[in-house]
Amino acid sequence: MPQTPESPNAGGRRRALVLFVNTTIALIGGGLSALLGAFAVGPKASAAGGRWIRAGTTSDLKPDEPVARVVAVSRVDGWYRERARETVFLVWDGDRTVRALSATCTHLGCQVRWDAKDKKFHCPCHGGVYGADGVVLDGPPPRPLDAIDARIDPADASVLVRL
Amino acid sequence: MKRLLEWLHARTGYRAAARVMLDEPLPPGTGWFFTLGSVLLALLSIQLLTGAFLTLYYAPTPDHAYDSVRFINSQGAGTLVRGLHYYGASFLVVALAAHMLRVIAFGSYKPPREVTWLSGLALFGLILAFALTGYLLPWDQRAYWATVVTINVSKLTPFAGDIMAGVLRGGSAIGALTLTRWYSAHVIFLPAALALLVVLHLVLMRRQGISGPVRPRTGSPTPFFPAQAARDVTMILLVIIALGAFAWHGAPPLEGPADPTDATYIPRPEWYFLGLFQLLKYFPGKWEVIGAMVVPGVAAGFLALLPWIDRGLDRDPRKRRLVMTVITIGAACVIGLTTLGWHDRPMGASSPDTWSLREIGGRAFAQKLNCARCHSETGLADPLEGAPATRGPEWIAGHLADPEMIAPGLREPLAVVHEREAAAIVAYVRRASRQAYPGYPPLVETSAVVYARYCVGCHKIEGDGGTDGPDLTHVGSKHDAATLRRWIVDPELVDPDAEMPSFGDRLTEAQLDAISGYLASRK
Repeated sequence: MPQTPESPNAGGRRRALVLFVNTTIALIGGGLSALLGAFAVGPKASAAGGRWIRAGTTSDLKPDEPVARVVAVSRVDGWYRERARETVFLVWDGDRTVRALSATCTHLGCQVRWDAKDKKFHCPCHGGVYGADGVVLDGPPPRPLDAIDARIDPADASVLVRL
Repeated sequence: MKRLLEWLHARTGYRAAARVMLDEPLPPGTGWFFTLGSVLLALLSIQLLTGAFLTLYYAPTPDHAYDSVRFINSQGAGTLVRGLHYYGASFLVVALAAHMLRVIAFGSYKPPREVTWLSGLALFGLILAFALTGYLLPWDQRAYWATVVTINVSKLTPFAGDIMAGVLRGGSAIGALTLTRWYSAHVIFLPAALALLVVLHLVLMRRQGISGPVRPRTGSPTPFFPAQAARDVTMILLVIIALGAFAWHGAPPLEGPADPTDATYIPRPEWYFLGLFQLLKYFPGKWEVIGAMVVPGVAAGFLALLPWIDRGLDRDPRKRRLVMTVITIGAACVIGLTTLGWHDRPMGASSPDTWSLREIGGRAFAQKLNCARCHSETGLADPLEGAPATRGPEWIAGHLADPEMIAPGLREPLAVVHEREAAAIVAYVRRASRQAYPGYPPLVETSAVVYARYCVGCHKIEGDGGTDGPDLTHVGSKHDAATLRRWIVDPELVDPDAEMPSFGDRLTEAQLDAISGYLASRK
């Protein structure tokens, strides 16, 4: 590629070269950015497992009173597999049905506590208050405590929750 | 847009900087040979970027490194990013060698560019250090054993061998401390040194100007932009397309997890270290230090002193016969040794994607023991196929012997497992953790059960098995199925001196048909 600035079409040639250089750099940079961007945004979260997990037996529970139980949920976090501990509140009707509530406040994710004296859930962070059935009574939470599928196994009276 | 750029220029004067970068005056006749430096810069940038992004998912601990790399490989974009980084290393080494040979052939190291040359050599060493440290990070078999070899080679360092090995190893054995140490070197210390040296190299290059063609041509210097920039960009584009094709073609290899007890693994370094690897074979015993230290040291010293050895002012390679001859012989030696190392792969080693008979048999034993009762998608434990095996073989064997070992009360104890079946299941679990079962014909599956239960104690197939009996890898080229069947049923009927026990009453007719047919097919 001899460079002869005097040649009549030097201006056009220069413009073509500039266009070529800029376009190629933009293409390489764009392609690389797209790839690295997609890589950084991260993997799709895998769907929740939804396994039935034993959370205790009815003998651990009191009728119509939420009882906190810690269950271990196996969770896949990218390359990491863990047995995550999660708190659920079990509310037993004293007979054959049990309801389970997530202990995670629907406002900003703190863990609520059951106050046995005034029969309410209190969130320690921003003053959210829930009733025994999970409905919001006071404070900022936008919706009731999340309900979790729960059942009693009639064979051995164990309580199972699906997480 | 234009007004925004005006405003920016008024505040920063960025156009002056751009002019300095782009208007570099080049001697007339500068051409395609002078694009290699830019190609190197582009490849280095790609390594830097992809490497930085890989750290988003990588975990430098022996427990998790392998799983995290596997996870990266399992993501679509991750395969590509790791592919670019992995193959990019090879591209860098090739481009580096080409750049260096160009500089030597054009005599570009001659005054006043001696320091530029030395900084380039330092960069070469740095890139090799990157390659070496990067290779341990996946913590697979190849990574582990290559590092074992590297650290043992470093012990040959005169006077300070043990100190050197200790510094490289971190702890008392290759493990967690080695991994974090090499990781820090790879992502912090070496990149910092690289950035400094690259800037130095480029500043010196600009200060002295590039050397240009061997015989100076008449004419006025031309600016770098756009004519030479277009050549550079063309070369970069071609190289990146080639690199992209490699990355697109397939995930970079990831072997089994590092296993310090595995005696069947045959370590081989990355191709660019094969020359050095091969060299070590020619210096046995106490002479090893010559291959490991002296020869590479003399070569590096020769290159470093080149500007003072080759003192003539003429840059024409035809007038620098001696230097060109030495360099040509040296390059031929490197290529020759690399080729020898490449071909010197042990025979009989199975290809990494083929399951060994023991692994196939282990799958059948695992089914027989009903491992899937717990190990399933909805069961108590992770499924056997596709789950990462972070546990070593001892752990898996222990778990097989007593499933309650890890979770008392949850699992029912198994029936007693025969030790060969247990070994096969261990092999199967470790294989299945990194590769889905590809599916083999029933003949092979039945034969695998027989082989993994009975034959493996005395006979080898593709490098796996005992050594008391003959290797059966190619037994089909000597005997047909009928002969093999008679032999297996009762060896003494075929040869009264046979030492092999008879298996006629231990195998079913179907098993006898399968194993004899399978062995006959092994030509």
